[in-house]
Amino acid sequence: MKRIIILASTLILGLSGLVLSEITEEGVKYQESEEAGGPEIVYTKPVKGVLFSHKLHVKELGLPCESCHTAIFEMEAFKSQRNPDFNMDSLYKGKYCGACHNGQTAFASNTKCATCHVGVKGLERLKKKAQAVEKK
Amino acid sequence: MEKKNNPVAEGIISKEEFTQNWLRFLTEFLSGSKGFYILLLLSGLIVLIAAMFGVNAMYVGYSHVYGIYREIPWGILISGYVFFVVTSTGLCIISSIGHVFGVKSLIPIAKRSVYLSVVTLLAGFMVIFFDVENPFRMAIWNALSPNPTSNIWWMGTLYGAYLVFMTIEFLLLLIAKYRYAMVAGLLGLISGVAAHSNLGAVFGMLHGREFWYGPYMPIYFIASAAASGCTAIIFFTYLGYRIRNERFDKPMELALQAVGKLWALLLAVLMFFVTWKVITGFAGAEGKVLAIREWLFGKYAINFWFFEVFLGLVAPFFLLLVSRFRNLNQMFVASLLAFIGIFFMRVDLVVIGQIVSHFFEYKVTDFPVILTYKPTLHEIMLIIGACAFCIFSFLIGEKVFKGHHTEIH
Amino acid sequence: MNWKEFFKNLKTEEEGCVPDETKREFLKIGLIITGVAAGGSLLNVVSVVAEGLATSEELHKEYPYKPHYSMVFRVDRCIDCERCVEACRQTNNVPEYGWRTKILERVDTKAVDQQRQFMPILCNHCNNPPCVRACPTKATYKDKQTGIVKMASYKCIGCKTCMVACPYDARYFNEEKRAIDKCDFCWESRLSKGMKITACAEACPAGVRIFGDLSDPNSEVYKIVHQMGKAVWVLKPETGAKPNVFYTIG
Repeated sequence: MKRIIILASTLILGLSGLVLSEITEEGVKYQESEEAGGPEIVYTKPVKGVLFSHKLHVKELGLPCESCHTAIFEMEAFKSQRNPDFNMDSLYKGKYCGACHNGQTAFASNTKCATCHVGVKGLERLKKKAQAVEKK
Repeated sequence: MEKKNNPVAEGIISKEEFTQNWLRFLTEFLSGSKGFYILLLLSGLIVLIAAMFGVNAMYVGYSHVYGIYREIPWGILISGYVFFVVTSTGLCIISSIGHVFGVKSLIPIAKRSVYLSVVTLLAGFMVIFFDVENPFRMAIWNALSPNPTSNIWWMGTLYGAYLVFMTIEFLLLLIAKYRYAMVAGLLGLISGVAAHSNLGAVFGMLHGREFWYGPYMPIYFIASAAASGCTAIIFFTYLGYRIRNERFDKPMELALQAVGKLWALLLAVLMFFVTWKVITGFAGAEGKVLAIREWLFGKYAINFWFFEVFLGLVAPFFLLLVSRFRNLNQMFVASLLAFIGIFFMRVDLVVIGQIVSHFFEYKVTDFPVILTYKPTLHEIMLIIGACAFCIFSFLIGEKVFKGHHTEIH
Repeated sequence: MNWKEFFKNLKTEEEGCVPDETKREFLKIGLIITGVAAGGSLLNVVSVVAEGLATSEELHKEYPYKPHYSMVFRVDRCIDCERCVEACRQTNNVPEYGWRTKILERVDTKAVDQQRQFMPILCNHCNNPPCVRACPTKATYKDKQTGIVKMASYKCIGCKTCMVACPYDARYFNEEKRAIDKCDFCWESRLSKGMKITACAEACPAGVRIFGDLSDPNSEVYKIVHQMGKAVWVLKPETGAKPNVFYTIG
């Protein structure tokens, strides 16, 4: 019985690691630990290297899951970037990140660009982190 | 000891004289000892192996086999080039004191020095041949499209002229046309000093490279050349006599003494130069301070303190004093140490000027503040090959020209 | 640049301390000194600064090139999408091992609010180019018409002096061309064929790169650089290279 439990938990932990750190054509997901509340997500469309950090928003800022899910964002990562209107104009109109990043709730999305836009360099950095986890 | 006879007649060398000389050189060359041919073979082999490395590098592409890269495009091949042409210019400067400006005590070292100044210059050209990406275009476009604001252009052109003048001078010395030789020697001296200070200015006029920028480089290069010339004269003259198992005659002893004293003075000058370069550097722009700190206290500290300062300057200086300029064995050891130290001086000169990243002030993650350079086997082999070429030519010169003996007239 | 111009530029440079008159002229046009945090210091556009609101003829005298191609970067907008780098690579056949333009990532963990900034770099097409001065065969030269620092690849001997001379790491050796290569403001690939804008400026989705004619008062480049109270700077002005590429915010 003990052996089964150990096997099962290792499998689950291992699989969760696999699921939570992923590199696809759509972008990169990387999650260090459960407490982060979700993975670090780097989008690649329409431009490469836009970071959304669950760790910052959930763990550090304490936002509950309902603040974004599922009214503004669906649970599935990268679902939003498949929409043709996933661009800065939509944000300025209050869609997606713009729902909070409007200058009142959080900083306006037409300021401090490089905070979220980690760029190709940020994308590559997170890819390496994710690759290291995938190898394990 | 054989002495050459001085023909009294002036004028152009006659056909008979020309063939006579050539036959004489050939017979001399063919009458060597076993040891001579073994050394010759060995050094020749090393030259060949180095050439193979060079050709391989050209074929594969320099970027793949050399340690240089976009941010540090000049490595030990450039240092090697500087090392050899500095030595060449120095040999020219010191020997011209004797047979251009008529200081009789330095006449005995003159012939060997002129010969070696040609040899070392050729060694330098060989090294640069394997650094420049399109060497065969050099001759064409340097002539057809010269840029008078380019120090490289002036250096190349003047060294070309210098090579011609020094070769002519040596040939004239061989056939004992001393007055013509003096003219060639003077022209060689002028073009050599002009070329060499332009080489210093190649570095000194680059305002983007704080470590190099300023009037110091051309001036330091000439002083350093003179010191290297003394080093080379003592080194090769001593070796020349030792391998031919010959005793130093009185005039030669006095000549080496004079060179030794001159060398000690020049070493003092260089120590003074380096001290002030370092001190003023600390008060310079941040780029310069970073470079100097890395040079003195960072990765290049051993290069600086042990090789440059100790082996290159301080140890030879004290050995010279201890020898009282009379103990030629000690002076030879001093010259050997100095040669090693001087090579590292050239390496540091070229590399440290480039190690501070272009964007160090901008806090970028793309480049570290201090860049690194590591020479590869190909580059090292080419330097060794050039040294072997010098040894090879030196040996032939000693044999064929029977120890470069000179009449004092 | 020819021999005479070289010495003329040297002389104006030698006046190390900027005289009060020149400072006032700078301020009139609105080129003000920025703080160190912005990553630069005072800039010196051309040897002689036009006075305030001059007419176009007078301006043309001060800017000898027509068009005087120049680029302005609004660095606060750069998001490192690197579309410019890709566009440049494709348009100009830049090999993988080299680059003509690059995005640098500036990180300062002590900075307030935003701790990261992206900074594009490329050849600055300097008005006093150290590379042109140093090239032994004039394989690189400053075009008399447009001010673009160009390459005559067939003359390049590969001595790499220009690479060492350039304060901006703008040059690299192109093995396919067997010569040094660098940004030419897409002259060969686009401008000489009638197009008006470089590949990188066209590809930028965020309006970071503004390319245009510095001597034309109607161009965006002119308008941005000549603005009262706007911080505009160049990289490494202390080298005396007088770069033709400007950086600003906003």
